[in-house]
Amino acid sequence: MNTKCLHNVNSSKMAEVHIVGQIVGASGFPDHSLFCKWGINTGGAWKALAGLREGQTQVDTPQQHDAAYWAHPIDIHYATKGLQGWPKIHFQVWHQDSFGRNELYGYGFCHVPTTPGMHEIECPTWRPSGSFKEQVSQYFLGGGPQLKNPDLIYSGADRYRLHTIAMGSVHVRLGVILRNFDKYGIEC
Amino acid sequence: MSQSSVFLLMVGGQIESAEGLDEGLTQVTKKSRDDRQQFVWNFPLDITFKTTNPFGWPQLIVHAYGIDAFGTDVVRGYGVTHVPITPGRHKIRIPMFVPESSSQLQKLTAWILGRRPEYVDVRVLAQGEGREVTRVRSQGFLTVSFNVVMKDMKKLGYDVIPSEMSTSVIPESVGPNSGGTTET
Repeated sequence: MNTKCLHNVNSSKMAEVHIVGQIVGASGFPDHSLFCKWGINTGGAWKALAGLREGQTQVDTPQQHDAAYWAHPIDIHYATKGLQGWPKIHFQVWHQDSFGRNELYGYGFCHVPTTPGMHEIECPTWRPSGSFKEQVSQYFLGGGPQLKNPDLIYSGADRYRLHTIAMGSVHVRLGVILRNFDKYGIEC
Repeated sequence: MSQSSVFLLMVGGQIESAEGLDEGLTQVTKKSRDDRQQFVWNFPLDITFKTTNPFGWPQLIVHAYGIDAFGTDVVRGYGVTHVPITPGRHKIRIPMFVPESSSQLQKLTAWILGRRPEYVDVRVLAQGEGREVTRVRSQGFLTVSFNVVMKDMKKLGYDVIPSEMSTSVIPESVGPNSGGTTET
């Protein structure tokens, strides 16, 4: 890790959030040879002090084909001046077949829990569905429509134009440590 | 089939080990002869860490080895998990995975020679970077039981458990039966 933690935040007593956990895996997809691109997005009042905010897991081709497991670690330290824009973790689940081709399997996001402690989260995913012709070609050839702007995964604007179909879910185990929230009167 | 496992507690950031072994090797065990087909190590872990910053929270990295049909030691699985951040007893089931060979020919030579793909430095599993180019096969699970005790977290201002207000336990479920009942 080449990001050093800033310790002068101790003197200003800002509220801090630590997110410590892992993306365990995914299940419920048509095929489980999967990998996942993930990222954490926050509002303007949040500052990332240490840790990677996005990444990509390894590709897993499981022996038992009912779930894929990545065990990808997440360790992030945020400092914040406000509650608006609480961190959201978003996922793009991709499928890799035996020829090495990548196909989008789903988008999903969930808010990082606001209570301190360990949380097991099941995040459902969806995939854009195209016209009937595109669906037929997707069935035989693979591929399929993808979002041009991935911000739409975690924002609500302009969603009404999207037609989607439900896919499997991503399992995340997150531990949340909060600091100095009670000094600002926040109850969580 | 017999297996042994090596474990390693990997920390980053400001955390330093105070006391206890942070690496070890278990005994060699065989699969149980009943339907459960379990390997039992029952290996004790006892370690203390000191820190001023939760960043770089300790992670437990496990790699399991076994003897293949030709009698050589091969990797049977790698697993990684964070030590839980809340005090108390936790039982965690870690999925184990092995790196996959790049091609079918390499897979065949690896099987014959007994030199399967391995991680050169297992610590890379504890980091988030560099994993996107690896292909793995997940097989099996490992169960670890943690009892975590903390000192002075509250004194430094850190909350790891919810505050004393009445918290309702909302079961996490999505589907036709989810009604979201709250109980105080």
